[in-house]
Amino acid sequence: MEGVTSALNPAAVERIGMSEPEWLRERRAHAWDVYERTPMPTIRLEEWRYTNLKKKLDLDSLQLSDAEAMSDDASTWPERLRAAMDEDRAASGHIVIIDGHVVHADVDKQLAAQGVILESLQEAITNHEELVRDHLATDAVPAEEGKFAALNAALWSDGIFLYVPKGVQLELPVRVTCWLSEAGTAYFSRVLIVAEAQSQVSYVDEVLSDDFESQTYTSTAVELIARDGARVQYVAVQRLGRGTFYQSIQRTLAQRDSKLDTLNVALGASVTRVDLNARLLGPGANSDMLGLYFGDDDQHFDFNTSQDHVAEHTSSDLLYKGALDGASRAAFRGIIRVLPGAQGTDAYQTNRNLLLSPESRADSLPNLEIEADDVKCSHGATVGQLDDEAKFYLMSRGLSLIQAERLVVLGFLGEVLAKLPLGGVVDKVTRVIEQKLAQHG
Amino acid sequence: MPQNETIQDLGLDEYKYDFVTETEPVFRAEKGLSEEVVRQISAHKEEPEWMLEYRLKALDVYNSKPMPKWGGDLSSLEAVLDEIYFYVRPQDQMERSWDDVPDEIKNTFEKLGIPEAERKILAGVGAQYESEMVYHSLREEWAAQGVIFDSIEDGLKNHPELFREHFGTIIPMHDNKFAAMNAAVWSGGSFVYIPKGVSLDTPLQAYFRVNQERMGQFERTLIIIDEGAQAHYIEGCTAPVYTTESFHSGVIEIVVKKNARFRYTTIQNWSNNMYNLVTQRSMVHENATMEWLDGNLGSKLTMKYPSCYLIGEGAHGEIMSIAYSGDGQHQDTGGKVVHVAPHTTSSITSKSISKGTGRSTYRGLCKVHKGARHARSNVECDALLINDTSRTDTYPYIEIEENDASVGHEASVSKIGEEQLFYLASRGIAKDEAMAMIVRGFIEPIAKQLPLEYAVELNRLIEMEMEGSVG
Repeated sequence: MEGVTSALNPAAVERIGMSEPEWLRERRAHAWDVYERTPMPTIRLEEWRYTNLKKKLDLDSLQLSDAEAMSDDASTWPERLRAAMDEDRAASGHIVIIDGHVVHADVDKQLAAQGVILESLQEAITNHEELVRDHLATDAVPAEEGKFAALNAALWSDGIFLYVPKGVQLELPVRVTCWLSEAGTAYFSRVLIVAEAQSQVSYVDEVLSDDFESQTYTSTAVELIARDGARVQYVAVQRLGRGTFYQSIQRTLAQRDSKLDTLNVALGASVTRVDLNARLLGPGANSDMLGLYFGDDDQHFDFNTSQDHVAEHTSSDLLYKGALDGASRAAFRGIIRVLPGAQGTDAYQTNRNLLLSPESRADSLPNLEIEADDVKCSHGATVGQLDDEAKFYLMSRGLSLIQAERLVVLGFLGEVLAKLPLGGVVDKVTRVIEQKLAQHG
Repeated sequence: MPQNETIQDLGLDEYKYDFVTETEPVFRAEKGLSEEVVRQISAHKEEPEWMLEYRLKALDVYNSKPMPKWGGDLSSLEAVLDEIYFYVRPQDQMERSWDDVPDEIKNTFEKLGIPEAERKILAGVGAQYESEMVYHSLREEWAAQGVIFDSIEDGLKNHPELFREHFGTIIPMHDNKFAAMNAAVWSGGSFVYIPKGVSLDTPLQAYFRVNQERMGQFERTLIIIDEGAQAHYIEGCTAPVYTTESFHSGVIEIVVKKNARFRYTTIQNWSNNMYNLVTQRSMVHENATMEWLDGNLGSKLTMKYPSCYLIGEGAHGEIMSIAYSGDGQHQDTGGKVVHVAPHTTSSITSKSISKGTGRSTYRGLCKVHKGARHARSNVECDALLINDTSRTDTYPYIEIEENDASVGHEASVSKIGEEQLFYLASRGIAKDEAMAMIVRGFIEPIAKQLPLEYAVELNRLIEMEMEGSVG
């Protein structure tokens, strides 16, 4: 849009909402209001102790994307995006997002006939307005969540809406591939997944880009809702280029007897910040929360997780593991909260870090707040280096030092992938880690 | 004999330190904290000019720092502090002979069992009543070897150089708001020096008693363990139960020099109306060992995190912590180990029990600085919850800047299992007793490190507290 300022400001909020229904325009305006009223987090806040936004993010320098939507013609898409898609095509449906626009969406015809909805959020506003209005930025990640949730709720351009009706089970995952290409741009997107009672769905999201000369920012708000007895798996694989600040704000709402699992894989970007809040709202609800990161150069990872046990007899199990090479740095801050009355809770939390170089650094802050007595809770955190004995053993079998080290690192990280062995993801992530390891030595 | 009767016979069904002694202080400053009060304290102690200046500067620092927003609930503390007497001088001089201590004060300590303890095998005994040390004694044989065990005031008077070399260097006044407060109004506490190579084979013991209502106690202790020396220092704290709140804020500075070994044991059993905000820190030099054994049973709110700064190669720090929180109590305790030098090792073991509306919080730090190569640290926290209204939190900070460090943290929370109780019931053990037995087993790894009389006391307390806890 020629002549229109694309800075992050109220004018942009209005422009984005121009052709949207009234309720959504109001929600955006309200969100901007919350954003302006909320002070920028500083390292004085526990949640931001390890990421200094003053140094890491310059929102004022960013522009909103003004790219036109590309056509739904795969031959015009970037090579790396197509390669990533081709690695694992089998799916219940595909979404492709390029520079903030959903350029492609398909869903298995049989599933569509059963009422499964997979489409861009913008289309869903028109086609399924009520469903979207009920759930978008309300229960899971509302603007009130914080400064960045508010900014996202005000400025999101597009995203994904996935709806699985009662009892419908998707055998294959839904695959989303996302590409960013504009340097100096701020992208805002959302994911909204509603899985009705007894339904089952897996969702794999992969985001990629080349390296950027100037800082590029991407913010995603992920809202996952599992109704009674539903089973939902959410996987996010982040393979962005350097120069990117990747932020993801995720909340999972697990109702009675549902199982809502997440896996966050962070391999790229200069800064990764993931906020994940799992809420166990109905008896029998369970969440496995997995994370895997591999850093080198000056990559910075910051995971802020919480496990809120609200109902009785709920369970959660968190495992975040990372290896850090070069001068990379990771911070993990996790909290298990057992609310009064949430008897019979089982909650676990483990963070393990492998430091591969003298310049790497890891901070870990696993917290517990327990207000019920009939609970089983534990947490553990370790920071250490490669196990000499394991290396020695492998070398005694004829492997070189570097080969032995790579194998130990892969084994260390592989534990996470083995817990959520979704087709394609394990191979893909293992390959990327191997590429990164090839530079270690 | 049924167990309940046994407990009653022992008089343990209530806080046994809840008695008040009628004493008339020789001086009491106006309530609240002001420059005037600080000047009065300094004048009464006939201090050198530099100390008065130090105190006044600290008062400025205190006033400039905001109330901490973390930890326990301090929202009503400012109002409490306005009503508190910061300085109460119980008598004009400190006594060296127990016979010379005024009868009323002597009676208090007799009830607490001090002369009895001294008759046993202690190397030295000190007693603080309100704001001043009223009694200090050290066995001849140790004095002859150059050991100093004195009130902090006499430390300043008689050993000015040694005092000034270390005072305020381990915990500077800027460290935190309450360290600044203590630096402004400190009074009482011990000054300990163990010369090179001297090994005390029995502990030094200090008793702290707050008798008066609305009293603030601000002891300041400085301990220097010279190269190759060894010692063990024990402090115990009690106060009567008043309806108004009292306040205790100590600062404990410790230097453990090369190859030395030191243990500091605290049995904090303040009454449940006491705010207990304490800063305790040690600097541990080459191949030296520092051990904190920290038992927090009393007080309304305790915020205390004994720390070891491992600044010499091969230094070792150890923190063992037991917390018990009953109705209305919050123990916000833990420990800090900071690895600065290479080949340093540390461990923190924490056990907490929360009962009724009690809340136990473990808050700790394990930091490995750049340059602290081959550091090793292990942290273990276990929490036991007795009732559904009890609460426990764990906040361990782990910050690692060296890749060859090996650091682990484990924490678990549990309640007493029905199976355990059932098993013991099948062996004819009553539920109360079974509960006490399980709790004793839970804290045993730390309790066994305590001096015998304290271990017995702790076990009795647990029996008493577990009575009627099965709902």
